[in-house]
Amino acid sequence: MNNPPKRLGHAWQVLRRPSAKYSLLSLLVIGFFSGIFFWGGFHTALEATNTLEFCTACHEMRDTVFQEYKQTIHYSNRTGVRAICSDCHVPKDWTHKMIRKARASLEVWGKITGAIDTKEKFEAKRMTLATHEWERMKASDSRECRNCHSYDGMSGEFQKQTVFVKHQKADAEGQTCIDCHKGIAHKLPREYRDSNE
Amino acid sequence: MSAHRNRLFAALSISIAAAGLSAGAYAVDEEAARALARQNGCFKCHSVEKTLDGPAYKSVAAKYRGKADAEARLITHITTGEKAKFPDGHVEEHKIIKTKDMNEIKNLVSWILSL
Repeated sequence: MNNPPKRLGHAWQVLRRPSAKYSLLSLLVIGFFSGIFFWGGFHTALEATNTLEFCTACHEMRDTVFQEYKQTIHYSNRTGVRAICSDCHVPKDWTHKMIRKARASLEVWGKITGAIDTKEKFEAKRMTLATHEWERMKASDSRECRNCHSYDGMSGEFQKQTVFVKHQKADAEGQTCIDCHKGIAHKLPREYRDSNE
Repeated sequence: MSAHRNRLFAALSISIAAAGLSAGAYAVDEEAARALARQNGCFKCHSVEKTLDGPAYKSVAAKYRGKADAEARLITHITTGEKAKFPDGHVEEHKIIKTKDMNEIKNLVSWILSL
C-alpha cells in the first residue's frame, strides 16, 4: 500500500475519474481563476527577470558590460529615454521571448560553472559572446533595435547629412542595424576588425 | 683635451635625444589607437588606405607631415566638432570622440600621423 508507484497510480486514477462531488460549473470557475492566477504569476516572475536590477544582480554583468553601458547614450541622454538590458537582448513578443528565455537557461549553467566569473575569463570569451548576440540580432533583422528605431522615423532635418544618406543607402540595400552598429552599448571585443580598416 | 671632451659630450647628448625621439615614435600603441577608432566608429568614414567620406589616414599623415601644429590641429578636429568638408562639397560638424582621456586621444592622433 505504501509502494510509491502504486500511490502514484492511485493518484492518477483519482485525477482521471469524473467528479461526483463538484459541479462542472464549480470546476470550470475554479479552473478559470486558477489559470488567471497561474498565468499572472508566471508573467510577473518572467518580467522580474527582465529588470535592470535582475540583470546586474550578478557581478559577471555588473562589473563588465553594465559599467560600459552606463557610459553610452542608451543609458544616459538628453531626453531621459533609457533602453535597459532586456530592451535590446530580450524580444518583446511572447513566442520569441519564451525561446530567448529558454536559451538563457544555458547562462544559468555558465553561472554555476563560473564560465565568466573573472574579468580575464570574460575578456577571453567576449568575442564569442558578442558574436552570438550579433548573429541573433542579424537573424531577427535587428528586431529589438526596431522596437524604437526605424528608417521611416529618421529625419534628414535632424540627422547629419552623411548619416542620413548612409541610412537611406542601408535601407535600400536591405541592411539591418547590427550590420553597422556593433559595440554601441558595450566595448568591442579586441579581436573585432572593422571592414573599412 | 677639454674641447674633445665637450665634443664627445655633445655627441652623446644628441644620441640620447635621438634615442628618445625614436622611443617616442615606438611609444604609439597602434592596437589601442585602432581600438579607440573602432569603438568611435571612425572607420565608418575613414580608412587607413582608401578615401571614403573622409580622407584616408595616410593622406592625413602626408598632409600634416613636418608641420609643428599637426598634433594640435588633429586633436581640435576630433574633440570640438569643428566643420569638415565632404567630397560632395557639403559641410558638417565632425563627430566628437567619446573619450575625455587626453592620453588616448593623443595616442590616436600620433598613430594617424605616423602612417
